[in-house]
Order: sequence, then structure tokens, then C-alpha cells
Amino acid sequence: MVPVRDDTTIPVARATSADARAAIPDGRAVLAVARAAFPDARAAFFAAAPPHPAAPPHPGFLGADTVDLSVRIGSLTLHTPVMPASGCFGPELGALIPVAELGATVTKTVFGSARGGNPVHRLTEIPAGMVNSVGIPSHGPAGYLAALHPRYAALDAPTIISVGGHRVGEYAPVVAALGEHGAAYELNVSCPNLDRDGTDIGSDPAAIREVVAAVRLVTDKPIIVKLPVLVASIAACARAAEQAGADAVCVANSIPAMPLDAQTRRPVLGNVIGGLSGPSIKPIVLRLVWLASRAVQIPVIACGGVETVDDALDYFSVGASAVQVGTASFARPFAAVEIVRGLRQRCLDSGVGSIRELLESEAD
Amino acid sequence: MRGAPATPTDVFLRGRAAAAQARAFAEADERALDGLVSVRPRSAVPRPQPVWDDAEVLVHEAVGERYRRLVLASDTIAATAQAGQFLMVTVPPNAGDTILLPRPMAIHRRRPAHGGAAGTVELIYGVVGRGTRALAAVPVGGTLQLTGPLGRGFEFPCGAGSALLIGRGVGICGVMGAAEDAAVAGIRTTMVLSGRSAAQLLGRIDSAELGVRVIEATDDDGSSDVATLGERLRGHFDSAAPDRTPPDVVMVCGAGVLARLAAELGAHWGVPVQASLEAHMACGLGYCHGCAAPVRTDPSVEGPLVCADGPVFDAAIPIV
Repeated sequence: MVPVRDDTTIPVARATSADARAAIPDGRAVLAVARAAFPDARAAFFAAAPPHPAAPPHPGFLGADTVDLSVRIGSLTLHTPVMPASGCFGPELGALIPVAELGATVTKTVFGSARGGNPVHRLTEIPAGMVNSVGIPSHGPAGYLAALHPRYAALDAPTIISVGGHRVGEYAPVVAALGEHGAAYELNVSCPNLDRDGTDIGSDPAAIREVVAAVRLVTDKPIIVKLPVLVASIAACARAAEQAGADAVCVANSIPAMPLDAQTRRPVLGNVIGGLSGPSIKPIVLRLVWLASRAVQIPVIACGGVETVDDALDYFSVGASAVQVGTASFARPFAAVEIVRGLRQRCLDSGVGSIRELLESEAD
Repeated sequence: MRGAPATPTDVFLRGRAAAAQARAFAEADERALDGLVSVRPRSAVPRPQPVWDDAEVLVHEAVGERYRRLVLASDTIAATAQAGQFLMVTVPPNAGDTILLPRPMAIHRRRPAHGGAAGTVELIYGVVGRGTRALAAVPVGGTLQLTGPLGRGFEFPCGAGSALLIGRGVGICGVMGAAEDAAVAGIRTTMVLSGRSAAQLLGRIDSAELGVRVIEATDDDGSSDVATLGERLRGHFDSAAPDRTPPDVVMVCGAGVLARLAAELGAHWGVPVQASLEAHMACGLGYCHGCAAPVRTDPSVEGPLVCADGPVFDAAIPIV
């Protein structure tokens, strides 16, 4: 009984007939049938991995697998266009899901100096979604490299390191301090700019340009700029990132919100305000992804309320090249992997070799 | 007033009064826990690798007026879970309401597979909000997705021959796993079952099954009052009778004020105290960083997390 809004999950967990199996063409359905052979659903999910989960070494090489889901972010090729959203993944998940099936992992944001995080309560759920104000505890780059990076590096997927700052000048030193570690950097510019009265760095195209240009000077690795929702012009922000040398933009982040206790009208969160995430923000982010995709040539990575294969395809249809899965992973740790498998299966079912062709075939 | 319909403002004010009381309890717990808990030293026994599983619902029934009991089939989790560990329970959508975050719940009972019978875990929860209302609608024969076993549980010190367990409300489930381990290890166990009223106390049948001596403490007769309970426990264990000597360890779950009482008793008897804490959490594994434990740290250093470093912590009265 996993959420029925996801068409890739199994409404009939105990389907045993061949007909029932055929009706639900996805990995979890097959494994539900085979469940008896495994000690638990996690083990069955691992065993249901497609025979060739590894990437073709370069786009165009299709090998035995006729579906190519790969996507290029600058010099980096991801074998699938699905990755976790920053803050919604940790190396702890390495044993719970087949991480190798993801295009990449994305770390929690690393700041220049250590920070302890916000007071409790740090998160809550309201009918509109999840609201969190964790405050992004960070050990700083040295602490990250010592304690966390080895655990990410041990996972069988490229590590995209999320980097944050509270002044435009704080990003490049963190990237420089991370040295050669990480396959790419995602600049989290949804942070209050302490030099500009707390306005988000990412809402100011000039500040974005400055951050990206400075980071470009210290690394040749791909740079992704993670833009916030509340901006005057997402097109202007995305173009600023592109012009300053970014290899992709990620659109978007959680939406600033303020949950009140229904009984007391007092703030629920220790920090009073937090970021709203979950399926209800998807239509807001779809618009932003559509606008950003029309504004820039670099890939747009969509992030906002992705739970299912169809959510991912919606984003691809408005111009996204990849998606990040965040809040959905808390209830279903396997959500991102399930989307990868579902995308591949949809392509196979339609006899096409890519997501672009799948969308074209749907449009016919 | 008789017959006059409640206005929205009446309803709001009534709710606010209840919330104010709840907040007063929460603030008392917060004060009680201040400086009390610390992360337990590394265990000699490795923690089991958590899994996720689609567990069949074998039993789902009301327990008294406030609680519901779930018996769930999962061989792996039943076989590996340690006392005091918890599960994240993913709540299926109910009547158009979708619940995003899984709910953390203590594992009340573990029954590993035997013969042809599936291994099961038992959970007890109160219906207190949207998530637990949706959970209450899950039918017997359906499945629930579980992630676990999670967290750092209770551990008996080497050579412990007796234990005092203290549980309040659903917190009784937090310590029941320790009673299971004690029964297997032959540790003489007394458990305080605390709750609002005698009719609503959890754990009586479990305690009888596990050979645990029970001390009941309820709000309606005043026996759950912390000072009253403390006096009663001192009187009980400070007796000269051979089976009334102080316990070798105290384990507690369900309220910060009880954790503090347990720490005071532990200091009085000179024995270690372990306290299980509750928190809002999203992942249960440590990566969402949502459940900061009430441990003071330098503001630039993140403190421990209830899910990964707890939920069971050492509890000791701070030395001033």
C-alpha cells in the first residue's frame, strides 16, 4: 500500500497472476511477485535491478541496453538523469537503496565555517507539505572532507558537493578548499546575503554572476547553480549563471513559508520560518523550469515535488534535462531509484531509446 | 450557555487551552532534560543494518480509548531489532489525504519467525493528528512500509541482575523491548506503568507474559505525580527485604520529567540510567538533521541527533 499517486508502485502488493504482473510494468511489481524469495522488500528491490545498471561509457554507446538515459552536465556524464536533492540524502542510504542506479549523489550543503544548525523544532508537516528549517549544520570543508566525503566517495555514483555561503565571496574559498574532491559543485545560492540585508544571493543576478565567476576561477569541474523560487525573473537569474560560466542550473529550492500551530497561532518551527517542499510546490516549480529552460542553453535540473515517473516526465516535457528527488525520499527511500527504473521501462515499452523520443512519441 | 452553539472562537479558545496545557508539559520536560542526557559510549554490539520492508498488517485494533495496536509481519526486522530501537512507518494515503513524512514509532514487541510463523513486530500508537488518523484506517491484510530497525537502543550493563523500567503512555513501548531482553537474560525486572487512568494503561498483559513486576501510577489518583512516585520507588527499593534491593540499572521512556526522576534515583542508588527520547524527524537515519537532541553544544558544532545518536541516551543529574 504505497502511495497510489505513484503509477510505478503496486496497488496489488500480492499480485501473483501473470495478468496482474503484465498490468504493472515496473520493477517493484515484478519484485512484489518474487517477494517470497527474499527476506525483505529492500532485498527484493536490490535484486530487481536492471541487468545493465552501469552507464554506457559515453553517450551514443548503447551496448546491450537500447535505452540511453544519460545526461551531460559540462564535462560530467551522468548515466541517468535522476539524483537526490541536497539535504534529502546521506551516505546512510547507501545500504538501503542501490545508489549505483542514480545519476549522482548530492551532499548536504557545505559552508565555509562550521555551524550547528537551528533550534528545535526543525521540521514539521502541514497539509501543504513539509516545512523545514534545519539550519544546515556543517563541519566546514575540512570537516566535510574528513568525516563525510569518504562515505560519499565509497558510493558507486559521482558526488556533487553542495556549497553554501552568506556573502558572495564565501563560495569560491569553499570550492578551493574541497580541492579535487567531488565530481561537480552545486552552489546553493538560496542563502540570505548578509551584505544585502538578508536578500537571497540567488535572487540577485549580479550576485549570482559574481559567485559563479569567482568559483569558475578555482575549479574546472562542472558548476551547477541552485536557484531559489522567490526571484523577480528566473530567466535573468539563470542567464546570469550561464554567462558567468555555470554548466547547469538547478530550479528550484524549497519555498519560504511560516507554519503556525492551529491551536495557538504560534510558530511551529524554532526558527519561525522554513522552506516548504513536497508535491504541492510542483506547479510553481514547473513554471520556473519552463521559463529557465527557454532562457538558457545549459541543462536545467528540476527540483520540486518529484515523487513519480510522471512528475519527472512533466519536468522533462517543459525543458528539464534531469530531476532531483527530495521530500519523497523520506517516506520512500527508494523513490529516486524507482523513477530511474520507471523511465527506462517506459522507454522500453514504447520502443524508444531516450526520454526525448519518449516525449515525442507521446505527442504523436 | 445551555444549548448555545459553540462559536468558532469558542472552539479556538478551547483548543488553545488544551494546547497551553500540552505546552506546559512540553516546557516542563524541556527544563527537566536540560543538561541531563549525553550520548552513550560506543556499544560492543554492532547495530543491525536497517532495511525497508512491506509488512503485512496482521492485527490492527483499538487498545483502550486512546491507542491502537499494530502487529506487522517482517522477518528481517523482527529478527534483528534491538530493545528500544524504532521504526519509521510510511503512512499510506487515506481518503484523499496524502501524508508526506513517515512517523517514528518505538518497537513495542519483537517476535522472530518460528516454525512456519512469520516474524512480527508490534507497535502501539495514539491517534493524535493527520498522520496517525490516516494510519488508523489501514486495514488488516494490507501492508505498511517500514524502515528500520533504527537508532541506538537500551543495553543492560554487564552483570546486571535487576532492573527498574519506567514508561509513561506510549513511552511504555519504548522500554518494553528491554523487558523482553531481561526476561531472556534472567534479569529481575520491575516496571512502572504510568498513564492518565488505570483503564488506559498499556503494557499490563506484556508485563505479565514477561514476568515483570508492575507498579501502576496514574494521574487520576495522583500516583503518577513525579515527587509521589519518586518517594514510592525509594520506599520500595530501599527496603531490607532481599528482593527489594536497589536495581542495577534504570531505563525510562515517555516524559522528560520521568527521565529526570530516573536520573535522581540512579544517583541515589549509584546505578546507571538510560533514557529514551522522542523527537520530530523526517528520515530516521541521520541525514535530514531534523531531530536535534537536547544536548548543549558550542553554537558552531552540531549536537547529537535523537535518531542516530539516540533515541536512548545516558541520563545523569548534572554536577553543578
